[in-house]
Amino acid sequence: MLDPVANSLERYLDVLSARQRLMASNIANADTPGYKTQDLDFQAEFRSLVRGASPHPVEVTGLQVRNDGNNVSLDREARLLAENALRFNLASSLLRTEIRTVRSAIKEGRSG
Amino acid sequence: MSLFSVLSVSASGMAAQRTRATLLAENLANAETTRTPEGGPYRRKDAVFISEPAAPFGEVFQSALGAGGTGVRVAEIIEDPREPEKRYQPGHPDADADGYVAFPRINPAEDMVDLMGAARGYQANVAAITAVKDMIHRSIELLR
Amino acid sequence: MTSPILPIDPGRIQPVIQAPGQARPAGDFQQALNDAIGGVERLRHTANRGVEAFLAGEGGELHQAVLATQRAELAFELFLEMRNKVVQAYQEIMRMPV
Repeated sequence: MLDPVANSLERYLDVLSARQRLMASNIANADTPGYKTQDLDFQAEFRSLVRGASPHPVEVTGLQVRNDGNNVSLDREARLLAENALRFNLASSLLRTEIRTVRSAIKEGRSG
Repeated sequence: MSLFSVLSVSASGMAAQRTRATLLAENLANAETTRTPEGGPYRRKDAVFISEPAAPFGEVFQSALGAGGTGVRVAEIIEDPREPEKRYQPGHPDADADGYVAFPRINPAEDMVDLMGAARGYQANVAAITAVKDMIHRSIELLR
Repeated sequence: MTSPILPIDPGRIQPVIQAPGQARPAGDFQQALNDAIGGVERLRHTANRGVEAFLAGEGGELHQAVLATQRAELAFELFLEMRNKVVQAYQEIMRMPV
């Protein structure tokens, strides 16, 4: 009864969580020699709407590699960190509204 | 538990950067130290970072990259093995027979830049913790 | 001019309520009820398993366990309301003077 919008939103939250995990790992390893930035192919992961499937991290291309082999850009990671958090905020708010709406619909039938 | 384990990933980042910052501050403070208890001038110290998978409770169920994310730790603290810098200062109390004093090989400007980098890295990890905490709160709010 | 009231012709009255012995209509309702209960139970189990797995750290995100819980709750609430409606309707019917 919450489906299918809620299913999409939940999958969105799944992928955002997984991505945020990678962002945090990148940030923690911003100065680790040889560490390469990881990310998700967000669109691909989201489109495979299988709930509970683990997303696959991929190495990010096009980043500048420093002398110690590290290619983490703190600017990029900080930006994506904020973006993910905001999207999570949005999706969870939408879900809350959805849940409230369904609940009201159920309760509305009571008086009728 | 995955988002929760991110907290320990970011915490490990904070700890590592803090160690690095401490060492850099020590380098800067001792840039001119010619005498140490071990003998000889101060030797520049540096921290070696290595990745370490965070340890979520149920790691056995997930792949290495899947569950907890990758944290970091300081593998070791290394001292600069290079020969100290010799400066000709015959009047110096630590001057050797030829009047040369051994000074630490430290470039304060470089270490200053590194120190700012460590501070920035530290703050980025704090930002990650804040962002993830917010997401966890929002998940809890779904119950209301 | 009013039309005369015709006498009640038993042959023209179609049976509306099936005799209790009839399996199909009662079976339909029973089946629907069982399905509903089964559905609610399934969701409840899923939710419990999700929460347990999360607490044990076995995987799954917090929002997944929370949403599973909400789904189970909503299904149960809907089920309750429907049950209330059925009981209401039954009581109304029983109150009807026959």
